[in-house]
Amino acid sequence: MLDPDGGGQFSAHVRWRIAALLGAGLLALSTISVSMAFDSVRLLNAAVRIGPRAVAEAPLLLQLIERAAALDEVRRLSLVNAFFNQRISFHEDVEVWGMIDFWATPLEALDKGRGDCEDYAIAKYFSLVSAGTPVAKLRMVYVRAQLGGKSLAHMVLAYYAQPGAEPLILDNLVADVQPASARGDLLPVFSFNSEGLWQGVGQTTQGDPVARLSQWRDLLARVRAEGF
Amino acid sequence: MSLMRQVFLLMLGAVLAALLGSLAVTAGSMRQLLQTQVQVKNDDNAATLALALSQQRGDPVLMALLISAQFDTGHYQHIIWRDAGGATAFERSVRNGGLPVSIAPGWFIALTPITVRPGVAQVSSGWNAIGAVEVQSHTAYAHDELWRSSTRNAALLAAVGVVAGLVGLAVLRRIRRPLDAAVAQAQAVMGGRFLTVIEPKAPELQRLTRAMNAMVLRVKSMFEAQGEQLQVLRRQAHDDPLTGLSSRKHFMAELASALSRDDGPAEAGLLLVRLRDLQGLNLRLGRQAVDQVLMAIAHAVKAYPERVPDCLAGRLNGADFALWLPAPGVAGETAQALAAALRVSLPTLDSAVHVAVGAVELSREQPAGVWLGEADAALARAESQPGFAVDALITRPAAGLPQGEHAWRAQIGTALAARRARLVEFPVLDRAGRVLHLECPLQVQLDANSEFEPAARWLPLALRSRLTADIDLLAVSLALDAIGRDNQPRCINIAPASLLAGNFVPRLRELVFQSPQAGRKLGLELAESAAIQHFDLLFELGRQLRPLGVKLGLEHAGAGLSQVERLYQAGLDYVKLDVAVVAGVSGDAARAAFVRGMLVMLRSLALKVYAEGLVDSLDVQALWDCDLDGVTGPWATAQRSVR
Repeated sequence: MLDPDGGGQFSAHVRWRIAALLGAGLLALSTISVSMAFDSVRLLNAAVRIGPRAVAEAPLLLQLIERAAALDEVRRLSLVNAFFNQRISFHEDVEVWGMIDFWATPLEALDKGRGDCEDYAIAKYFSLVSAGTPVAKLRMVYVRAQLGGKSLAHMVLAYYAQPGAEPLILDNLVADVQPASARGDLLPVFSFNSEGLWQGVGQTTQGDPVARLSQWRDLLARVRAEGF
Repeated sequence: MSLMRQVFLLMLGAVLAALLGSLAVTAGSMRQLLQTQVQVKNDDNAATLALALSQQRGDPVLMALLISAQFDTGHYQHIIWRDAGGATAFERSVRNGGLPVSIAPGWFIALTPITVRPGVAQVSSGWNAIGAVEVQSHTAYAHDELWRSSTRNAALLAAVGVVAGLVGLAVLRRIRRPLDAAVAQAQAVMGGRFLTVIEPKAPELQRLTRAMNAMVLRVKSMFEAQGEQLQVLRRQAHDDPLTGLSSRKHFMAELASALSRDDGPAEAGLLLVRLRDLQGLNLRLGRQAVDQVLMAIAHAVKAYPERVPDCLAGRLNGADFALWLPAPGVAGETAQALAAALRVSLPTLDSAVHVAVGAVELSREQPAGVWLGEADAALARAESQPGFAVDALITRPAAGLPQGEHAWRAQIGTALAARRARLVEFPVLDRAGRVLHLECPLQVQLDANSEFEPAARWLPLALRSRLTADIDLLAVSLALDAIGRDNQPRCINIAPASLLAGNFVPRLRELVFQSPQAGRKLGLELAESAAIQHFDLLFELGRQLRPLGVKLGLEHAGAGLSQVERLYQAGLDYVKLDVAVVAGVSGDAARAAFVRGMLVMLRSLALKVYAEGLVDSLDVQALWDCDLDGVTGPWATAQRSVR
């Protein structure tokens, strides 16, 4: 069932699987307390729309969020960081999507199994938020990375345990989560998160005609549609 | 509410709704657009500012300077920098009255709220998160723009609306014209005026108008058929079968009517023409040849009434013809001219044919017996001469008013100004003896100390001086006063000459307009001859005064009635049959048949029919049998005084 060239005769089988998964997923989720905004049914439905591989990855993602929610915030970071660093291999957007720059949602990235730096950061960000991490503690950071003697435009996810504290960095270039001071190779330029946007995103941004003109806003709307 | 008003209000409502609707839609979409614009501005400016602040390495003074610079040079409600803990680190904002508020009125702002969420972006210094900036733009400029464009739109749409309204009004007026014409036609038919109108182009109205026109034409042809029938009856009743002149009986009735009228000349002439030796001619030439002679005489005599209105001609018996001339000083000349004409034409038939002509000229106050006696005497004198003989006796009565015309005119003018006049009253009774209305001839007191004089005394001079309009207006005003007093319907005789005076009808209308109550009981009547000669003036009189409730009638109506062209269009209320038509109906079936025929015709036009000048109670009874509406004359006056 992981065969990406499944085709038509395959889809009936896939649908049956989804029905089973839905039941299992709902049963599993009913016992866990996760972020209020998270909606596992919508996630599974979205996976069907995106592709067969996403259908396979969605339960794993649900499991991850479930497990992460049970952990404290710092250990949660390692779990989520490791999960996406494993399941997504680094490739440029042009290769994967045929576009210079494309911000994929977590399911889209998992479906392809490939992505570039912001796709990792995005997937980790929303998974953490779904597992109960407050938005205010997370920031996506544009950084200049020194890699093998040359500069690289890069994006990472930063976690601030307290406002003004030294952040922990979730990066796809490095396997484990390290404090910012240990990352002399990174020079932060600008950071942002979905604070002020995230709560109302489902209601307002979808109907907002300007939302799709901004990469970040457009992504927020698409992620919201996947149940995050 | 009238149909037109409903259509107009409907149109007005549609235009208003369209205007307000489009105004609301425009303002609404404009508001939406502005709101989006402000939102984008908030978000983008917040991100840009945060990007700039993140490059300051956390120096609060530099950051505050940047924020102030952005605030002062831009259009912002407030810019707030909150530190990582959420507390306000630096703030610039417009306090009340700090910046000019919107020019739009408060209600407009309340009606079109522009609610925009502030733009928020994260600020960092290196790895340090040092809070967020919140940017809120000023919305007054948006409201200003919204207000300006809305008022501009309103003005533009109002102009379009006014133009649409005017065009609609013009179209309505165009629709209304044929509608009004159709309604006017219907109303005219109700009032007894059968008019045809031009068919409108709108198919709905066209069918209606066509139907109405067809009905009017049918009424017209019915009326014409009745008129022809009536002519036959009239000839049977009134005419000598051989010559077509009035029979003796009818001539005498006509003469009596002519002598009793108010509006004739003071003096008139009567000619008697006799074919000499009728019996001898009969024996010598045979009846047919004599008939030809009689026809030739009748032809010569008939020429006068054909040319002169109110002139009367008749065949009194076998050899005698009579000609009454309603003018002073022409009897002698006419007798000579008639004799001369016959002297030329008759000998062609037989050389031994001669006529004798006797002529008299008398005051019209003389009774018919005196007229015929005097004329007979003149004829006898003429007969005493041989061959074509003429005898004219011209007795010029002393002029009743010795003064010159100028003096007289001044005299009657003074009398009118002083309202030295009164109405005498003659009742018109219905079958049950009730008074239908009072006929009110005017009497004028020419001298302050003299008697009140009847119309026969002054009317001829008034006609010559063109004073009849003033006299008739005085009579109407007296009648309106009298009606105001006793509420009794009255009718006034209008001289045809008055109608010719340009401002008579408007003045009359004004007079009636001032006494609307009394006006509804007022009747105005014109002689039949006036209707024949001045039909248009009669039509106009009816059109102007009947809407005020004034009744309009014809008096002295007789044979001429069927000659009144378009009588069915005149819009009359009643007709008074002349004494010449109604006198003697009791003893003459043919005359009664004619009266009945007239009644049928007039009733079909919804007119009331009265009879004038009745003396004989047998005639009155015969007329009741014909189902007449009312009678007047000496009999009626006597009845009333008995009661």
